[in-house]
Formats: sequence, structure tokens, C-alpha cells
Amino acid sequence: MLTRYVFRRVAIGLIQLFGLVIAVFFLIRLLPADPVSRFVGLNSSEEAYAQAERNLGLDRPIMTQLGHYLGVLPGEGEGLLQGSLGTSWVTGTAVSTEIAQALPVTLELLTLAFFFALVLSVPIGMLAAIRPGGAADKGVFVYSLFAGSQPEFWWGLLFVYLFFFTWGVAPAPLGILSPLTSAPPDVTGFVLIDSLLAGRPDVFLEAAHHYMLPVATMVFILSGPIIKMVRQNMVRALGSDFVLYARCAGLPKWRVALYALRAAMAPSMTLIGILYGFMLGGAVLIESVFSLGGLGQYAIRSILAFDYPAIQGVILVITAISLLVYLALDLIHAVIDPRVTF
Amino acid sequence: MTAETVLRAVAPDAETRAEVLRVEGLRVTYRTEDGDVSPLTNFSLTIREHEVVGLVGDAGSGKSTAALALMGVVRPPGRIASGEVYFGGEDLLKKDEDEVRQLRGKDIGIIVQNPRGALNPMLRVGTQIGNVYRAHNQVGRGDAAARAVDMLRKVGINDPERRVAAYAHELSGGMAQRALIAMALSSNPRLLIADEPTSGLDVTIQAQFLDEMWDTVQETGSAILLITQDLGIIANYCDRVAVLHDGEIVEDKPVREFFANPEHAYSQSIMALQREVASDRTEARQSMHSEAEVTTEAHLVDIAKLTKNFPIRGSDKVVQAVQSVDLEIREGETLGLVGESGSGKTTVGRCLLRLEEPTSGAISYRGEDISGISKRDLRSFRSRMQIVFQDPFDSLNPRWTVGRVLREPLDLHTTLSRAEKVARSRELLEMVGLSPDILDRKPKGMGAGAMQRLNIARALASNPEFIVLDEPTSVLSPSAISELITLLRRLQDELGLSYLFISHDLTTVKYLCHRVAVMYLGQVVEVGTVDQIFNSPRHPYALALLSSHLFPDPAHRRVDHREPDALSGEIPSPVDLPVGCYLAGRCPHATDRCRAEPQVLERLADGRMSRCWRVSAGELEAAP
Repeated sequence: MLTRYVFRRVAIGLIQLFGLVIAVFFLIRLLPADPVSRFVGLNSSEEAYAQAERNLGLDRPIMTQLGHYLGVLPGEGEGLLQGSLGTSWVTGTAVSTEIAQALPVTLELLTLAFFFALVLSVPIGMLAAIRPGGAADKGVFVYSLFAGSQPEFWWGLLFVYLFFFTWGVAPAPLGILSPLTSAPPDVTGFVLIDSLLAGRPDVFLEAAHHYMLPVATMVFILSGPIIKMVRQNMVRALGSDFVLYARCAGLPKWRVALYALRAAMAPSMTLIGILYGFMLGGAVLIESVFSLGGLGQYAIRSILAFDYPAIQGVILVITAISLLVYLALDLIHAVIDPRVTF
Repeated sequence: MTAETVLRAVAPDAETRAEVLRVEGLRVTYRTEDGDVSPLTNFSLTIREHEVVGLVGDAGSGKSTAALALMGVVRPPGRIASGEVYFGGEDLLKKDEDEVRQLRGKDIGIIVQNPRGALNPMLRVGTQIGNVYRAHNQVGRGDAAARAVDMLRKVGINDPERRVAAYAHELSGGMAQRALIAMALSSNPRLLIADEPTSGLDVTIQAQFLDEMWDTVQETGSAILLITQDLGIIANYCDRVAVLHDGEIVEDKPVREFFANPEHAYSQSIMALQREVASDRTEARQSMHSEAEVTTEAHLVDIAKLTKNFPIRGSDKVVQAVQSVDLEIREGETLGLVGESGSGKTTVGRCLLRLEEPTSGAISYRGEDISGISKRDLRSFRSRMQIVFQDPFDSLNPRWTVGRVLREPLDLHTTLSRAEKVARSRELLEMVGLSPDILDRKPKGMGAGAMQRLNIARALASNPEFIVLDEPTSVLSPSAISELITLLRRLQDELGLSYLFISHDLTTVKYLCHRVAVMYLGQVVEVGTVDQIFNSPRHPYALALLSSHLFPDPAHRRVDHREPDALSGEIPSPVDLPVGCYLAGRCPHATDRCRAEPQVLERLADGRMSRCWRVSAGELEAAP
């Protein structure tokens, strides 16, 4: 039952991805942009322009371009169906290689941020829900309004000013490893994991130190909505008949709290999934402030350069990861709540 | 049940028994934007050992608030403003939270109205029972699990080893209610608070359930506070009655005294129907019938071989909701249609008005077949046949004013001028006992009883001859029920209406109907006069239905002379029905012939019809 469900979801996801590839392919080409002159310059000769256009393949009919991108044209090398995301027009490197460098940073940043945000927000949200309108609840309300109402890059800059410049407890916002540190051999792409695999705790600590501020900034931003959501769901769960009955049955306080928490967490999973998918591309401001070189930054760079293969690759990867995250959270939801069936 | 428990239940030394619970001046307050609201103002009550105390009161009188407050629990954001609750000699409102918590679920158990909502949807039933048991007893997980199985078996759940693994949404309402009582009784409480424990259960299951609860408590020697709106339950199971009105106990008496001589105005209003009927009206109903039976031509509605199947999506099978039903309704009479949920009685009513299209069969109105006529021709019949639905809230558009609700049928079926329509609307409101001044108000805020009157006024707007009443009393409080039944009888006398009265509440059927048809799994199993069906039912199902109904008569309490359950086993699914008699699997009189032969409705010597060959053959004698 479960494997069939997962299989069906993955199959549907692949169809969605394929539809997305086609849509993005055409939508990009609808942009009022001229990538060719972006590469050869506005004052180039007509020959140079035509040459560049030919190099990029933009002189061919659009359906042929699509066929080339998908890899269905015979004798034209590998395309999407063979697992190739194409070559970046700007750097000439394979898009998949570039994404493989940028993605782990973003994933590490997001996963750490979501982990700490949840660890902090769930108890705070529960505390606020116990006495709606009480001091804790009011404090939480002010905090989430305060943290959420100002842009994240501003918080990032403020944190850099305070923790790095004024107090000096954080490293400079210049990437994950200092230029002098030799990076551990690339096994998974995730610095924190690779450094441990290579037996280099010093590199691990250095990376963790560098992640500290960006993660703190994101936790600061993310915990606002998560606290609010946990509080809302918790208030609803605490007011439900089964929690009331659990109290009437004389269950210990901690057990009643667990009953309510489980009921509150099940619907929260959905929002966390949506936030995670959104942040994959949306963490760009944090990445920029701290020069992390993540996926968001890569996406912005590609868009500004009209680097079509790179844009398509980024969208595809973000969507695929989002779909997987949604699937994982739906499965977690089903584990928490037995009423969910496949 | 032993003779000893009978004695205990009715023992006269009630005053000398030890107190289990004594409540004094309990006041519960909710803070709202419009100031403080107190559902309980001055609640005082004493419950003694072995006593079953009934607590009655209208919706909103504070019954459920009281049930919780007795354990020191209030739904947030309410609080207990004042009062004392003595349990075991100590005021539990003065104890700290942890001490009270140890009493809850151990010494005081509670069953609530909405059992499926009260069970944690995310945990297996067995785990939940185990959690409660472990909260009050020093046992391990394994012992608690074993206790859960024991308790489920004790409350009459078949196959408890399998059921402990079920989740709340996998249980039927009755099953969830039993799981809840298993939880409430797991630590042998001295007091059980049961808040409308059988609302939503079918009568045969209700009686079985209350019997089991009564037995269990008698065995363990606890006391019960039974909160209900059903006078039948009070009369049959309670030793004493307390009446809650406007947050206060206004009357508190032994049950027989209460039924004989209710003192408070509210008590009298809920007893009004019983008292009125007890005087003379039932006689009138029955005599009128025997005249009607002679003039067989005067049929208003004839239903012949009515069948309705509902297809099941994604399957070739059908739900056989109604099967070949033959009924007639005579002019000026009330035919009662009774049966448990799923028996097809509502579908018959809907097919009659062509709200559902019958699969086959004929319906004639004054001799004219209306089962096949076009929707347009149907309209002229619709003005003569009306329907009142079960839920008064859902059948009124909350955004319409009362005037607009009443004008709609007048626009459709009459050619009156605007002023005449207003006059007619006022007249209709007066007819159903509502003030004509509410024309500009919206139904919101009216009580369920008043809304149901408005629905009746709307049905009357087109001057119908015949009204289908589809469980019109099922959501009403006892006082509203008796008012509505009185109203329906008055309207019938004044306007010469005929009714098809669909209900599972046999008490109201007895007061309103001339003849009764009993349905089981889509078939009519017995039709006869009220006297025949209520005093000497012949078909085994009719007999079982009547014996499990709780009539509000404390002189014949069910707990004082228990009969063995007439039926056993599960109701067959209406998708896969047996070949022979549908009741054969549950009937104590079933033979091989019953299981092999489909049964037909046959007329007996006394004029009634019954669907049982053994009854026709005279093999099953009428109950004495």
C-alpha cells in the first residue's frame, strides 16, 4: 500500500516536472531579452552576432532547440532525458556540476535553520497556547510581528554588525571556509559531513562557526511564522474534545500535552514543507549577505546573465527537491495521524 | 441480574446511604466580550452510594457544564467562580491540581456525549485505555494492555483482542461509546457521570448499552449521574430525578414521585405530553381508526411495490434502501413509520414526494398515479403534499427573514397580492403558535422548537392535505417535543390533515399516530393499529423494537423486570441481503425454512399485516 503510494506520487511528480520543463522552456524564450547581444555586446558586427547565435543554438527553430535540450535529436549528444542539464552559456561548465557545488550549501543552511527553528518554536508556541492572551502569548505575538515585518537581509546585516563587527564573536561574512583552509575531499558535497568523513574536526568547527550567523538569521526569520502556526494548531488541539476528555480521565499533564502536541503537529507539517520549498530559492538574500555561494545566488546570477540552461536547471532542481520534501512530509503526516490513508 | 441487586436499586433507605458526592452552590462563569455568562449559577446536588440519579434539562441549561464542573474541569476559557464539591468528604475544588487529577478517571469516571470526538484520533483505543489505567495504577505497559482487552470485553465488545488496535474513526458510534465507558470504568470509579451516553444510538443498541452500564455499576457498587433529555431513560434507569433549569436545580425527587407529581413549571412542561395523553387522547385516536378501517376507499395515498436502490460508485452492487413497500395512508389519519437508522423509512418519505426518484413501483395520490408524471405536472401535487425535515436549522436559509421564508411557497403556489401574502404569513405564524411580529426577523437565535414550527408554517402555506414529517422531533428538547406533538395534533383536528410520521421515537409515535408500519432493512415487516403494534406486536422484529424502547413509565421499569434480549447478532448489510427472512440471522425463532424462503407481508385475522410465516401459521403467539 505504502510503496504503491510512494511510487504513484513519484510518477506524478515526474509528469509534473516534465510539464514544468516544457513550460519553463517556452516561457523563458518569451522574455523580451536578447541573450546573444548579452554575450557579444551591443556593438558587435553582424557576423560575430550570427556566429554567437549559432554557437548558442538560438538560430535553429524553437522545436529543434527543445529537442536538443531534451536530448531526443539523434547524434546531438546528451540532453535532459539522458540526465544532462546542459552547459552554462556563461562559464561553459556543465550546469549539473555548478548546481552540485551550490546546492549543498543551501541545503545545509536550510536544514540547520529549520532544525533549530523547530526546536525553538515548538516549545515557545506550546507555551503561548497554554494561556491564550497571557504574557507568553503576547510576547510571542510581538516577536513574530517584529521579526517578520523586516526584510531578512536587514537582520543579516544587523547581525553581522553586532556579532562580527562590534563583538567579534562571529567570523567575517565571507563564505563557509576561509581562503586559507583547504577544503576536505568532496564526497557528499556537504562541507559539514565531508569534513567529518575526512577526519578533520577543525574544518567542521570552522564551517559550523561560519554557518552560525546565517543560520541564526534564518532561525530568527523562520521562527515567527512557525511559532504562530504551532500556537494556532495547539490552541485548537487544546480546545478539542479529546484533550478535554484526557483531562477528565485524569491523565498526567505531560501526557495531555503530548496528546495535544501530536494533534497540533500533524497539520503543521504541510506549512513547514511549503516554507522549505519556498526558502530553497528564497534564501538568496541571506546567501548574498554572507557570501555563501548557494543555489539562490546561482539562480540570480543565471537570470541576470540570461543563461537559459542554468535557469532551467535551477528551476528543475528546486521543484524536484520541493516535491520530495512534500512527499516526505506527507509520509510523516501519515505516521503522526492514522486517519490519513493513501 | 440477581434479586439482591433489584432490592438495592429500589431500596427505600435512600436517605441513610453514604454520600458519594455533594455539590453546593456551584457557579461556573465564562468571560465574554459582552460580560460574564454563567451557565451554572447555583448548582447543588447530592449523590449517594448505589444511586442512579437522572439529571434533566433543556439544551443550554448547563447540564454538560455541570458534568465537567463536578470533576473540577471547565472548558476554557471558563472558570469555577464559587461553590463546593465534596467528594469523599473533602472539597475537591480546594485541592491542588495534582490531587484532583488523581481522583479524575480513578474515583470519578465520565462518559461524554460525543464519544468519537472524546477519543484521541491518533492513538489506538487500547493504548488510550491503557494510558488512563496506568495514570492511576502502578502497572507496566503489558498489564495495562491486558486490562484494556478485559475492559472492552466487559462492556460487550466482540473480539476485544482485535478491537484494542482500532482507531476512533474505525469504530461505530456505539462501539466508540463502549470504548469510552471501558476507559471510564477501568479503575472502578465510585461515581460514574454519563452525559447523554446514548445520543445517536439506535433504540435496540441503546437499551443493550444502558443495561450493560447499569449492570456494571451495580456489580462494582458505584453511583451514577445520568444526564439525559430522554424521559424514557430517566423512568427506566434512575432512582432519583434532578431538574436543571437556568443553571439551578429546581426539583429533586424520587423518580416515581416526579412522574406522578412534577412541581416546577419546567418539569410540568416536559411532562405535559405524558399527562395529557394519559387522560383521554389515546382513546380518541384508536376509536377514530376503527371507523377509518371500514371505509377502505378513502385512501389518500397508495404506495405499491415501491423500491429504491442506490448504486454504489465503482461497483455493480446496489444498496437496497427500500424494497417493494406497500402502504396506504387514509384521509385524516396519521401513519407512523418506525424503524432503526438504515431501515429505509426516510427514503420512503422522500420517494413519496418524488424528492428521490423511485427505482420502481407506483405511488398514487387520490387514485392518480404520480410516480411517472413529469416534473411540471408534479408541481400542482406538490402544493397538496408537503414535507418537514429532521433538522430545523439546515432546512431554513439563515440569511432569509421569516417573512421571506413564508412568502416563497406563497409565490410558487398562489396568486395572492403582496398584502394578502403578508396577511397569510401572519395567519400561518399564528396557526403554529408563533408571534406574527417575527416576520422581519431572521431564524438565527430562534430555538430549535420555534424553527421547527416555522418549517411547519411554511409547509402549511400552500394549504396541503398531506404532510410527510421526517423525524421532526429528533433534535428537539423534551418540552419542545411535547409542544410540537400537541401542535401537530391540533392542526390535524383543525385542518383535517393527513400525516406520514417518520420517527424512531416510539413514544411520540404512540401519541400522534393511528396506524404504525414497522420497517426493517427496507421492508415493512408489520403494519397495524397503534394498539396492535404497541400492545401486542407479533413480528419478532416489531416485538424486539418495542421491548427495547424505553417508555417514560416508572411503574414498569426495565431494570426491575429484565427480559432477555430479543435479538442477537449484527444487522446484515443492505448490499448483501440474505435470501430468506432478513431477520433470520438475529431471530430466536428462526428455522431452516426462514433462512431459505423470502417472507411476504400477509394479513392476519385481526386485520394487521405481518411478514413472518411462523406468525401467519400461528406458531408464534402474541406476547401476553
